[in-house]
Amino acid sequence: MIRLVPNHASKIKRRDKVGFTFDGLRLEGRRGESLAAALLQAGHLNLRTAPFGDAPARGAFCHMGICQECAVRIEGRTVEACRTELTDGLVVERVS
Amino acid sequence: MSYDIAIIGGGIMGCATALRLAEGGMHPIVLDQGDLGQGASGVNAGTLSLQIKRVQLMPYALRGHDLWAQMGDAVGFHKSGGYTLAFNAREAELLTERQTLKAEAGAPIEFVSNAQLRRAAPNLTQNVVAASYCAEDGYANSSLTGQYYRGRLQDAGIAYRTHSPVTAIDKTTAFELATPQGTVRAKRLLLAAGAWLKPVAAMLGVDLPVQARVNTVSVTERMPPLMSSVIGHATGLLTMKQKANGTVLIGGGWQGRGTPQDGRGTVASDTLRPNLALAQYAVPSLGSARVLRSWTGFEANVPDFYPLAGALPHVAGAYVLGCVRGGYTIGPYISRLMGDFILGQEPELPLFDPGRAYTKEPT
Amino acid sequence: MSGDYDVAIVGAGPAGGNAALAAAQHGLRVLLLDEQPAAGGQVWRAKSSAILAAPATEESTAGTSLRNRLAQSSVTHLSGARVWQMSQDDGWKLEVLQGGSSETYTAKKLVLATGAREYVQPVPGWTTPGVIGLAGATALFKQNLRAPGQRTVVCGTGPLVFYVASEIRRLGGTVAAVITPNARMDWACATPALLHRPALLARGALWVADLKLAGVPIYWQHAVTGVDGDTEVTAVEFAPLSHDWTPEASRVVIRADSLCLGNGLIPQIEAAQMLGVPLTHDAHLGGWVPRAAPDGVTDVAGLYLCGDGAGIRGAEAAVHQGTLTGLRIAADMGFDTSTARDSSRALWARAARFGRAMTALSIPRAGLARLSKDDTVVCRCEGITKAGITQEITHGAGSCNAVKSGLRAGMGPCGGKFCQTAVAQIICTETGQDVAQVAPPTARPPLCPVPLDAAAGAFDYHALPIPKPAPL
Ligand SMILES: Cc1cc2nc3c(=O)[nH]c(=O)nc-3n(C[C@H](O)[C@@H](O)[C@H](O)COP(=O)(O)OP(=O)(O)OC[C@H]3O[C@@H](n4cnc5c(N)ncnc54)[C@H](O)[C@@H]3O)c2cc1C
Ligand SMILES: Cc1cc2nc3c(=O)[nH]c(=O)nc-3n(C[C@H](O)[C@H](O)[C@H](O)COP(=O)(O)OP(=O)(O)OC[C@H]3O[C@@H](n4cnc5c(N)ncnc54)[C@H](O)[C@@H]3O)c2cc1C
Ligand code: FES
Repeated sequence: MIRLVPNHASKIKRRDKVGFTFDGLRLEGRRGESLAAALLQAGHLNLRTAPFGDAPARGAFCHMGICQECAVRIEGRTVEACRTELTDGLVVERVS
Repeated sequence: MSYDIAIIGGGIMGCATALRLAEGGMHPIVLDQGDLGQGASGVNAGTLSLQIKRVQLMPYALRGHDLWAQMGDAVGFHKSGGYTLAFNAREAELLTERQTLKAEAGAPIEFVSNAQLRRAAPNLTQNVVAASYCAEDGYANSSLTGQYYRGRLQDAGIAYRTHSPVTAIDKTTAFELATPQGTVRAKRLLLAAGAWLKPVAAMLGVDLPVQARVNTVSVTERMPPLMSSVIGHATGLLTMKQKANGTVLIGGGWQGRGTPQDGRGTVASDTLRPNLALAQYAVPSLGSARVLRSWTGFEANVPDFYPLAGALPHVAGAYVLGCVRGGYTIGPYISRLMGDFILGQEPELPLFDPGRAYTKEPT
Repeated sequence: MSGDYDVAIVGAGPAGGNAALAAAQHGLRVLLLDEQPAAGGQVWRAKSSAILAAPATEESTAGTSLRNRLAQSSVTHLSGARVWQMSQDDGWKLEVLQGGSSETYTAKKLVLATGAREYVQPVPGWTTPGVIGLAGATALFKQNLRAPGQRTVVCGTGPLVFYVASEIRRLGGTVAAVITPNARMDWACATPALLHRPALLARGALWVADLKLAGVPIYWQHAVTGVDGDTEVTAVEFAPLSHDWTPEASRVVIRADSLCLGNGLIPQIEAAQMLGVPLTHDAHLGGWVPRAAPDGVTDVAGLYLCGDGAGIRGAEAAVHQGTLTGLRIAADMGFDTSTARDSSRALWARAARFGRAMTALSIPRAGLARLSKDDTVVCRCEGITKAGITQEITHGAGSCNAVKSGLRAGMGPCGGKFCQTAVAQIICTETGQDVAQVAPPTARPPLCPVPLDAAAGAFDYHALPIPKPAPL
């Protein structure tokens, strides 16, 4: 099929895969990408439970560090997954 | 239309006095330059603590606490009890001296052992050398002040106007108040303009020696349970509580910048940082909490730090209420006394004559 | 306290980056701060270190050029540096979060070049994971070169909606549909402005032609009305709009696992607001904007503003306003820059006219508010619905501040950055006021959440400057 906008997916070279955990689940992502992107790629969009309401699942929304919807816990601290670089062995938990 | 009394200032003092006056049969109107309860009454730390009240004001604070308990959920009232902590020998001395006098003035304050403290508040630092406890202490949610009193004024059929700054006052047979929305006429006048009392009194040619402090408050995001009581410091320079929603509110009267005349107070990092350090020192695990917001509010005082509550000197029919230290706690009660006074009734406890000399303790 | 600079610039996008370069050219000591890992701002956001190689795009090329020029200049650029508080004494003092700790920097002049964020009209289900901002999607593309899902609906106003759809296709994703509230006629009205920028016109035409060729349906004058799915997006529902963007009764449902949704950009004004810059309302600039001259000068001495944070005029205008601001600061510090400023100002004026025309495509129309239903969450952080806000307003809360105090709408972790435009809109609907009469809530520090221990800094208890206690 003719495409005016080419598909570049195969032309993108990514760094090596590293392992990390999300709430105990072992996942893989690319070293250096944003944790939000790694979780998205691993099929985990539902990152947290909002503290109220009947439709409480939440995931990354603004991807620019503002909305705080991607908040996760790393080493006992709340951080924005969209502003966290994936490193080898990162232990990520949901905010409770 | 002419009102029995116009009240300048829709903070806790103005609104609560209006309610008392309406109970007594008067038709008041409340005017505020902004929304109701957006001044000190809406941004304060919400601590209802007998341990930080002035000894002379204790009877007022005790009765104030009863009124807060009656207001209950609508103002986010919680009687959580409160601890006041000393972290070294000098502070311990200060704590003993101050809390003893407050206990003698009627506050049910006791000194507690370290073992008792650990059991009740396990997340506190190990560095406490002395502590006092008051079961009557607690807090309310000052953000709800505006919403609460708006509802009460509406229910009582009391007129109020928001975004109506009073810009000039004319005294003929009655008071004529100029606002951008037109002139308001009233037989009497109550000045309840908080930190703005000085310019408002000046509209009547009266000089009140009112100064403003710029107190700082901060709040964290929701945290797992860290403390169940109000936590204070022997010097009074820390008040802290964790709300039911998990957020932790940190105050203590550290000074930001700005003046009420500029309309804006700003947080100063050189005072914010030690305020937060003190909080972290008291509850170390608070260190990992994220601070979401810090703000300031203007708290008015006169040189002797006692209230202005009574007739405005030199102007017949005019009254003033403000400059109450711990004015959120005491506000609902002292406003009743003020209302009774304006209604011509003998108040249950004495008021504080605005015409006094401010150099000595009132008797 | 670290380093005393002539100029501190918050934001290393096209505006801040070029302001830094212009000021540094005149020998000024410039500190450029940005929370991102590299310079570039939103439009030229840099690729993450996870990307070893990828085909260049117009944005990536422009970003690389800015980063190279900064690297070769005398500008001190701190990346990963989040400014959370600013104050003015003799000069400016900035508190900056870097990693886990906070540092203080001082400078004689301060430039705010904080750019924009986006407005997303709340619709039922917009909080479902898998729904992301339309502009936010571009951040995901540029930084991580990932598509938002396997099958994405893209909905929004202006050119961004076509750019996002085309980027998804470039990254190997599938676009289920493109939905835009704009009518073809809106674009016809913008054509005179576009004719001055033939390259952009050509780029846009290519995006649309590619979507057509690929058989991606484009729904003009439509908007997303709801999202299905509890913990993930399963389908997206949309409807045709009337001329004023009121949704009509009929509904179309399309299967998708992700949705990019946006209604235009709004300036990030909080920093300027905190420092006392007066605000004005101009829908053609994205709503409330801090008052600033084309050369960045504000009513606050020593404070300058440039780029989309001073009004949405787009990346090219941001470049020129940045340069102009840097030159103006150099002039204010004693250098003759008048000739260079004249040419920058002319370039800025042209670009700004185009930017305004593009922003006009996103100005919310009256019917847009109807996309939010009574039980739609408006304040995401605190879970406050439109009905709750409406009730608070009918009970007498007539301002954003009053709604915030009474309901906590805007008191959560994002600080109201994603709900206050909608709150103001509801106030307008309920009280009949014009948007220009409903001021945003008071801005308070910190500009972003700050760990308490970082804000407090390392301390020795016994050295804390604890004041004298209050009278007994
Ligand atoms: C998410 C997003 C994506 C966009 N994508 C495009 C696009 O692809 N094409 C296009 O033409 N336009 C795009 N825009 C519009 C954009 O506003 C551009 O016009 C352009 O980036 C504006 O340049 P600027 O320098 O004014 O601001 P920006 O480029 O936004 O730069 C502002 C910078 O300030 C930084 N910053 C803000 N606050 C702080 C703080 N407190 N501390 C430290 N750093 C801070 C930010 O990290 C950012 O890098 C986008 C906007 C957004 C919000
Ligand atoms: C940050 C802070 C923390 C505090 N913490 C506590 C605490 O924890 N516990 C406690 O008990 N007390 C506390 N206080 C003290 C307490 O908040 C005040 O004493 C009390 O709220 C004062 O109420 P008020 O009605 O006199 O003043 P305000 O609430 O300030 O009301 C005055 C009103 O007058 C209005 N006004 C002014 N000029 C005009 C004009 N010309 N025309 C129309 N309207 C006008 C203003 O808009 C304002 O709404 C704190 C104070 C501050 C500032
Ligand atoms: S997605 Fe909004 S802060 Fe990360």
